[in-house]
Amino acid sequence: MTTPGSTTTPSTAGPAGPATLTDRARAGFASARPPRLATLLSLAVLGFVAVAALAPGLLAPGDPTAIRLDQALQSPSATHLLGTDQSGRDLYTRVVHGARESLTIGLGATALAMALAVTLGVASGLGGRVTDRVIGGALEVAFAFPVMLLALLLVAVRGPSSATLVIAVGIGSAPGYARMVRGQVLAVRREPYVEAAAALGHPRHRVVLQHVLPNAVRPLLAIATLGVGQSIVWASGLAFLGMGVAPPSPEWGALLEAGRMYVTTAWWLEVVPGLAIVAVAVALTTLGRTLQQRLEGAPS
Amino acid sequence: MYPTLSTTLRPDPALTGHERRVRPDPSRRARRATGLGLLLPVALAACGTTATGADPGEATTRVDGGTIVYAHDQEPPCLYGGWVQQAYLSRQVLDSLVSQAEDGEIVPWLATAWTVSEDQLTWTFTLAEGVTFTDGTALDAAAVSRNLEYWLEEGGNSTVAAYLARYYADSRAIDPVTLEITLTEPYAPLLPALSQAYFGIQSPASLERPDEEICEAPIGSGPFVVEGWDRGDAVHFTRNPDYDWAPENALHQGPAYVDGIEWRFVHDPVARFGALGTGEAHVVYDVPTPQWEVAEARFDVQQYITPGRPVALGLNTVEGPFADRLVRQAFAFGTDREAAVTSAFHGVIPYEGNGSISQSTPGYNAEAADDYPYDLDRAVALLEEAGWTEVDAEGVRTREGERLEVSIVYGAGSIITAEGTTVLQNIQDQAKAAGFAVTLVPATREELFSGKYSGPETYDAKPGYWTSPTAGVLHITFRQHLEDSPNFSNSSFYNDPELEEIIVEANSTLDPTEQDRLYGQAQQIISDQAASIGLYTQTTSIAVGPELRDVWLEDSQGEPVFHDAHFVE
Repeated sequence: MTTPGSTTTPSTAGPAGPATLTDRARAGFASARPPRLATLLSLAVLGFVAVAALAPGLLAPGDPTAIRLDQALQSPSATHLLGTDQSGRDLYTRVVHGARESLTIGLGATALAMALAVTLGVASGLGGRVTDRVIGGALEVAFAFPVMLLALLLVAVRGPSSATLVIAVGIGSAPGYARMVRGQVLAVRREPYVEAAAALGHPRHRVVLQHVLPNAVRPLLAIATLGVGQSIVWASGLAFLGMGVAPPSPEWGALLEAGRMYVTTAWWLEVVPGLAIVAVAVALTTLGRTLQQRLEGAPS
Repeated sequence: MYPTLSTTLRPDPALTGHERRVRPDPSRRARRATGLGLLLPVALAACGTTATGADPGEATTRVDGGTIVYAHDQEPPCLYGGWVQQAYLSRQVLDSLVSQAEDGEIVPWLATAWTVSEDQLTWTFTLAEGVTFTDGTALDAAAVSRNLEYWLEEGGNSTVAAYLARYYADSRAIDPVTLEITLTEPYAPLLPALSQAYFGIQSPASLERPDEEICEAPIGSGPFVVEGWDRGDAVHFTRNPDYDWAPENALHQGPAYVDGIEWRFVHDPVARFGALGTGEAHVVYDVPTPQWEVAEARFDVQQYITPGRPVALGLNTVEGPFADRLVRQAFAFGTDREAAVTSAFHGVIPYEGNGSISQSTPGYNAEAADDYPYDLDRAVALLEEAGWTEVDAEGVRTREGERLEVSIVYGAGSIITAEGTTVLQNIQDQAKAAGFAVTLVPATREELFSGKYSGPETYDAKPGYWTSPTAGVLHITFRQHLEDSPNFSNSSFYNDPELEEIIVEANSTLDPTEQDRLYGQAQQIISDQAASIGLYTQTTSIAVGPELRDVWLEDSQGEPVFHDAHFVE
């Protein structure tokens, strides 16, 4: 398990940052080549998942919670493409219908993490030495605290639910992003165009909002894409530990949790939702990397 | 001798293939049988087949020493307390006054004999001589009396209080080996109650220690001593070398054969069972039902159908839709609980239709268990009668615009196992047909124990169980929940003075037939009211690897016993 911080790119690495940015930018502009197969495949996966999340009925018209006790634990077949679970529910239908909740948790957690990270990172990068020290110290402490532990604590206190997962994973992954934002802000605020804007007498808040923030945050969009995948994996991990959303939700982590009793007797209950999580996480990562390459180094 | 216990078990048709308990060692039964006389056929009938993990010709020579690695499910907050998960642990280090044998007979342990006065109010126990606690102090009548005081006057054990608070008056040491307990009114289930590990006797010196120390390492006179507790990992027990006062139903007297027990906590059932296959554990608790057949083929599997309250849905009789008896009955008729249970547990754990007492309990009312067969038409008719006449677009019934929504709050992983969660999901879906919208609310153990879900405003239904060797448990689970004497074990909040009166009368009735009639009547009232709806029996199982013999589950509530266990080669 990695923290979002460890997925950071060289672009945030201290003094070498601006130079790397420029190099990357050149590379990015130079490579206006057609999208790779991996990117296309990722788009296809995400397209399918997006449809599943928005209109699951199009892909799987059945009821994901309808039990059929006489059909329990059927292996994959023509009738049940991906088999059935211990209550005879069709696994394909459940995986399709579970996309919405899993994606919502991934997006929600990442959005929350980003919001916290931008606030803290910008305050830290622009707020002066004392603020920087305080926030930096707090982030160090937060970093030392494993995300899972924090999440378990929150679940114990608040009870398991989607919202708890969003909050837990969101707060847990914010420190990594916050450090990256701070690094970006520090790098960007010394850029000539920012200095120029300040020299022209633009008010400070305008400089921050129009020049520093967009340029500092842009590379983060790519990282956030990676983060969505990571958040889904984390939320699934929590659900797997029984700390996730309530049954009979087909959220993917919950499916994994429910299937673990059958890991030796009905493999499809673990393999199918596991593959769904992996596929989305890999697709998001691939797209994130592509996006990163294209976005980085296009200052406004 | 406690009279009703001579009735022994009542093998129920539903138990076919799932005997209340299956013991590994025929010699054990044979030895006891010599003293059982006429009870033998009944005991054998109840015990059913003999499951042995050992083929003839396999290693059978006892090897003394070695440490048993036992993989258990849940780690309780303390090693001593009022929860069955704590009783499992404290049973290893504490001895009780009496023990319950597998036929239900109460046999001597720390108390070698007992008498009760004519008016049934004064019990006199003669204690074994020469018993010492593992802190070196002697066990005497004053020490036992001190324990009663600790349990009942100092809040030392909530479960002891739940049993005895109403009945206990006083206790005193007549002489070092004679203890007198006086009651406020006759209490027939006293001896079976005392056989549970909640009533394990601790050293008085130990009780003077701060609560945290009692929690970490209770000190008694048992076959093992707590050596240490690595929280989150394992409790380490070592042998008490002086032990020579095992209960009469033990397989041997003298110290344990093994050097100790490493009592590991492995919450994941598949990992736990897997540890037995890989040899990382010698004994595992709660065999996952999907792997039951594999387990039976490879290991010595023992199953114990716990008496007391089965796993049943307590329906909130004071607030929400279930405050209406008709709606409660409709829910009972409208869910095919038997199918839900049989499917979820793969036929390994029996369905229990009786919502208040399980089939392995003396005094079980089998008729009440059949009161609510699956009958969708009756469920619908009852809901119509209750005024839930409209059905909205989602198929949920409504009454004056209010939807028929109910929440089931359950202790996920603590009270309800993975298979139990499947039962609840099955029921949730089944109930849709009658027009119920059921929400499942998994509660963490912390939420549950902190009392977050104890008030009537917090749930419509809550599944729970209460292991107990006696139907007298009804006094715990259905004593009224009143403002001046709240009873949160009454999860239905069902307050019925008449019911309480019948239970109290049963508890004070010595004639077994009359007592059974009264307990049966109480169960019938609860069933008629549909205050609690039966799901399945609370069931303990262990699987023992081939290198270990003579681990057994004791009979008051299925605590594993390792005193007789030994390795073989």
